[in-house]
Amino acid sequence: MWNYEKRLQFPVNIKEPNAKLAQVIISQFGGPDGELAASMRYLSQRFATPYKEVAGLLTDIGTEELAHLEMIGAIVFQLTRNLSMEEIEKSGFDKYYVDHTVGLWPQAAGGVPFNANQFQSKGDIITDLFEDMAAEQKARTTYDNILRLVKDPDVCAPIRFLRQREIIHFQRFGEALRITQDKLNSKNFYAFNPGFDMCECCDK
Amino acid sequence: MDNKERLLNDINVIDFALVELTQYLDTHPYDCNAMEYFNHYARIKNQLMKEFSMKYYPLTKDLAESNKEWRWGMAPLPWEGVCC
Amino acid sequence: MQEYYMEERCDKYQVAMAYVPWQQFDKIYDDLEKGFFAGTIFPELNKPFTGRRCV
Repeated sequence: MWNYEKRLQFPVNIKEPNAKLAQVIISQFGGPDGELAASMRYLSQRFATPYKEVAGLLTDIGTEELAHLEMIGAIVFQLTRNLSMEEIEKSGFDKYYVDHTVGLWPQAAGGVPFNANQFQSKGDIITDLFEDMAAEQKARTTYDNILRLVKDPDVCAPIRFLRQREIIHFQRFGEALRITQDKLNSKNFYAFNPGFDMCECCDK
Repeated sequence: MDNKERLLNDINVIDFALVELTQYLDTHPYDCNAMEYFNHYARIKNQLMKEFSMKYYPLTKDLAESNKEWRWGMAPLPWEGVCC
Repeated sequence: MQEYYMEERCDKYQVAMAYVPWQQFDKIYDDLEKGFFAGTIFPELNKPFTGRRCV
């Protein structure tokens, strides 16, 4: 179960609102490669994982992603604070504002609402770990794209932190895959699904 | 940075080391060197959390012992940041 | 006790599979705060973004 610490994992103190940037960064809130998708992916996959070490890692990384979701929420909240109606109209933020005012609603920058199609939980540990490694790279690329757009150092600092975390997570999932490989028969890793099949089928 | 901000910063930094070491140990469960670091920082974080909670406000509900007012509810919301 | 992360041999890699090298923990940043702001306590995993469009 979860405990909550009433602090952000990394500080977010943005002095200058910027509605245009908020519309882009919201992709890391509710978008396909965002923190909510990451968290739900790992916390869902862990149930059917046959190896305790891997399930433990999925739980711990999934938990950290919730803290990142909170940071992105804080960033978007602070970027849309004290906006004038003129700024809302000029920035194109009016399309989001009409449905949500300055509330946080999980969607991608393009407007696609958060949904479970944004991740997979395939119930096969090798497949799920490759999904996770790909997810971390996609998130990293999204942060690279955001960094090209950001000039405000108050925004850069937490974004750079979040980007670096994706690289670490990639390494950890890679190691979880190594653990999985060591537990399977290297002559044929795909002979059976260790999370579902009771044993390798015999040829008879 | 005032004392409260400094102490909160120390908690952020130490807990971050713990998160990193936790995930490292999840995939390297027999690395004694990493475990030593983890144990050391876990002890420090515990002390800092209690100190912060006594001096300022509780960071977890378990540290929210209250008498006259509900201290957990009085703690500031972490997403507000430095107000402009 | 299986210390599976100790061995790294090329001949054990199979086709139709991908492998990420094991991180061998050597040191962490002496200044933990530096690691915190970088996003990792492990110097070998610190890979900052320096790309620019330049158009």
